[in-house]
Amino acid sequence: MGRRNKPGASRKGGLRPFYLVLALVAVVGIAALAYAVRAGGGGAVLEPIAVEGLDDPRALVAKAEGVAVGDPSAPAKLLVFNDFQCPGCASFATQITPFLKAELVDAGKLHLVYHDFPLVGIHPHAFIAARAARCAGEQDKYWEFYSVLFGQQGRWSTRPRAPLSDFEDYAEQVGLDREAFGACLRSDRYADVVTANMQLGQQLGVDGTPTLILNGRRVRNWQGYSDLKRLIEGEEGA
Amino acid sequence: MSSAALDAGPAETGGATAPLTRMGIAVLSLAGLFIAAYLLLHRLGVVGTLECGVDGGCSVVQGSRWAVFLGIPVPAWGVGGYGLLFGAALAGVQPALAGDRRVAAVLFGLSAFAFGFSLYLTALEAFVIHAWCRWCLASAGIATAIFLLSLPEIRRLRRG
Repeated sequence: MGRRNKPGASRKGGLRPFYLVLALVAVVGIAALAYAVRAGGGGAVLEPIAVEGLDDPRALVAKAEGVAVGDPSAPAKLLVFNDFQCPGCASFATQITPFLKAELVDAGKLHLVYHDFPLVGIHPHAFIAARAARCAGEQDKYWEFYSVLFGQQGRWSTRPRAPLSDFEDYAEQVGLDREAFGACLRSDRYADVVTANMQLGQQLGVDGTPTLILNGRRVRNWQGYSDLKRLIEGEEGA
Repeated sequence: MSSAALDAGPAETGGATAPLTRMGIAVLSLAGLFIAAYLLLHRLGVVGTLECGVDGGCSVVQGSRWAVFLGIPVPAWGVGGYGLLFGAALAGVQPALAGDRRVAAVLFGLSAFAFGFSLYLTALEAFVIHAWCRWCLASAGIATAIFLLSLPEIRRLRRG
């Protein structure tokens, strides 16, 4: 501070160390960017994006489309806010959902709607998993892919990098067109829908997963499938 | 801290020498350019995941509605701003332009804007978004350092 440059700095050669430092920064920067592009999943969007217009509640509800099964006019409507990387959601998927479908959805008593709520702060692959399931849904295999994702959760969720190849393998396993699935996965498709799902959950006060909302009311402290079934059947007309 | 205290370059010699402060600005703005480019590539979907530690604040900040300013993604502003600063600083270290008032005006003006904008973004993270993006903080630190290094430009402007 306050010192003058050496006289040598006035000569062209005096700038050489400066240019060397610039070159070093440039090389490190370019190498880091190249590494990030290669390792980060190419064009696959792995995290929430900014979506315009979601401040309008109607636009938010329209964009935050869930994945539904059952009769929309069924007396009970259960929203499930789900995170594919959450162990509790895996338990729900294997121990609750199959029975809900078999005993209540198929009987016309329940309209079951799954919404994405990836907890991106603690589950780095949850967002891409939600997008992957939506991509599978393009080929009418959402629920098949959903089952594999939860069945293999312990495998893909521990990957240090985005498990795109794992998901493509699972897609093939459930009979999806791998190429079409991969093209969807390695793009930004459904990033807006999943982001909107997250915002909808936040608006509804969702703070963890799985969160259940039955006919507009949050279901808390339920004890297993029988208890949940009793609550659902207790809805008027169910 | 006065601008004179930071001035490491003898501009009164009619532009014969290259001020060290401008060299510092050039190096820092190049580093800032890469950080902004990284965030922009993420925004464009070319980089899928931001390396952000376990707290995941980067995705919250980058996914918020404040990640766009005047219809343009904030990282794009960063790329443009740091690019201009880098170009101006690189020009300013050339002996022929060391005393050029236009270079001094561009450097000080841009760095003051970048510093103010960084303060605004950091305040948003702290008080509105309630999440921290470490890359944004690194960029804010760089913008602050560049602003401090640009203070001697005031003296060059006054000297005219």
